[in-house]
Amino acid sequence: MKDKEIDEILKHAAQGPDVLDPMLLAQVAKSIESDMKPVRPLPPTWMLAGGLFLVCAAIAIAGAARAGFYGIEKLSALERALIFPALGMFIWLAAMTWVNEMIPGSRRRAAPGTLLGLGTAGLLAVFAGVFRDYHTEHFVSAGILCLVVGLLHAIPTGLLSWFILRRGFAVDTVGAGLAAGTLAGLAGVTMLEFHCANLEALHVMVWHTAVVVISGAVGAGIGWAVGPRSGTEIRGVRA
Amino acid sequence: MAPVDGAHESVNAGDDWVRPLCRMYSDSNLEVLMARYQQGDLAAATALIHRLSPQLHRFFVVQSACRGDADDLLQETWLRIHKVRHTYRGGEPVLPWLYAIARHIRVDHFRKTLRTTAREQRLDDTPEVPAAVASGSATTMGLEALLAPLPESQREVIEMMKVAGMSLEEVARATSSSVGSVKQKAHRAYQKLRERLSGIGETKGSDGGSS
Repeated sequence: MKDKEIDEILKHAAQGPDVLDPMLLAQVAKSIESDMKPVRPLPPTWMLAGGLFLVCAAIAIAGAARAGFYGIEKLSALERALIFPALGMFIWLAAMTWVNEMIPGSRRRAAPGTLLGLGTAGLLAVFAGVFRDYHTEHFVSAGILCLVVGLLHAIPTGLLSWFILRRGFAVDTVGAGLAAGTLAGLAGVTMLEFHCANLEALHVMVWHTAVVVISGAVGAGIGWAVGPRSGTEIRGVRA
Repeated sequence: MAPVDGAHESVNAGDDWVRPLCRMYSDSNLEVLMARYQQGDLAAATALIHRLSPQLHRFFVVQSACRGDADDLLQETWLRIHKVRHTYRGGEPVLPWLYAIARHIRVDHFRKTLRTTAREQRLDDTPEVPAAVASGSATTMGLEALLAPLPESQREVIEMMKVAGMSLEEVARATSSSVGSVKQKAHRAYQKLRERLSGIGETKGSDGGSS
């Protein structure tokens, strides 16, 4: 059987009667009538993403200003030129992804999971290329401190970013949560790169990058908790 | 892949008060109607409801719902669309936006249904195959019966492409996936449909030979 024949059968089947009560449509129309007023469409994607980008930059800079710019002072010009543009690019990608997740029917250029994977791998590659000191001192205690500081800066970033996108509607809440968490985590890492003077390669690669991974996972978990399980196969409810 | 409007006509057959509205907007595209809806135009909203409800209803019926459920889901979808109508961007295609919301409502609804029915029935029971599948020929089967054996993800792709007349790109947007993934699902669905329809043809043939 050829595809065209299947097309014809499907077309024929779709033309069969699907009786829809006209009263139902009248009822739907009536139910929205009372609340019919003009609404302001969402701003363009670039504008929303720009707002998210600014929030991330503001939180990272404000946090580092309060704690001290010790990290960026220790970095060479080349190291700064490699780390911060890369972080800026990942933040922009995460912001665009989150905005798209909050607008139904948007074109999905990268799935939030892919974004988190690429962001993490990209950061690891940049850190591995920049930092060559593999000697470690107070690996766990210093690392946990950085992890906590990074996550503490991710929380306000997530909240402020959500405020910017509060008028959006996430049809895939897990994906939206993952994108939001990744963005917030990247703001935390940026703050750490400004502030943390510990330039040991393993410290930066493990603990700084972990901020993004944990923040993304927490975001996805929140999305899972608040929304329907998109993509799950539903069986056993056929009437 | 042209949209199939047969169901739409049957709905409007006994609904005379709607006809002037539909006629008023017959030449307008959905994007214009959505823009007017966002501006608070009730006539545009009503025209959209009457134009798109039949295919949305069919989408819900095909996606494992009974007609009662489909009616509820349709109402719920329009209420949600009304609530989030500001998220539609002018110039973007309307159908992916609409179907993305409809999918969300369906998943949410069935999650709630599963919670309440989990104690009452075994969920791993094989769904009942509609009678038309067993007894009818391929050409007389209803769409629901025809697509019933397909997995949910393939069923929705075929429904959006063949009933709603959406392009691969639009289906990808509506399902938050890539065009490649949609193509793959459609290809697999066609493979299954081919096997199934060939099987029905052979069964009918052998029945005809023996009688």
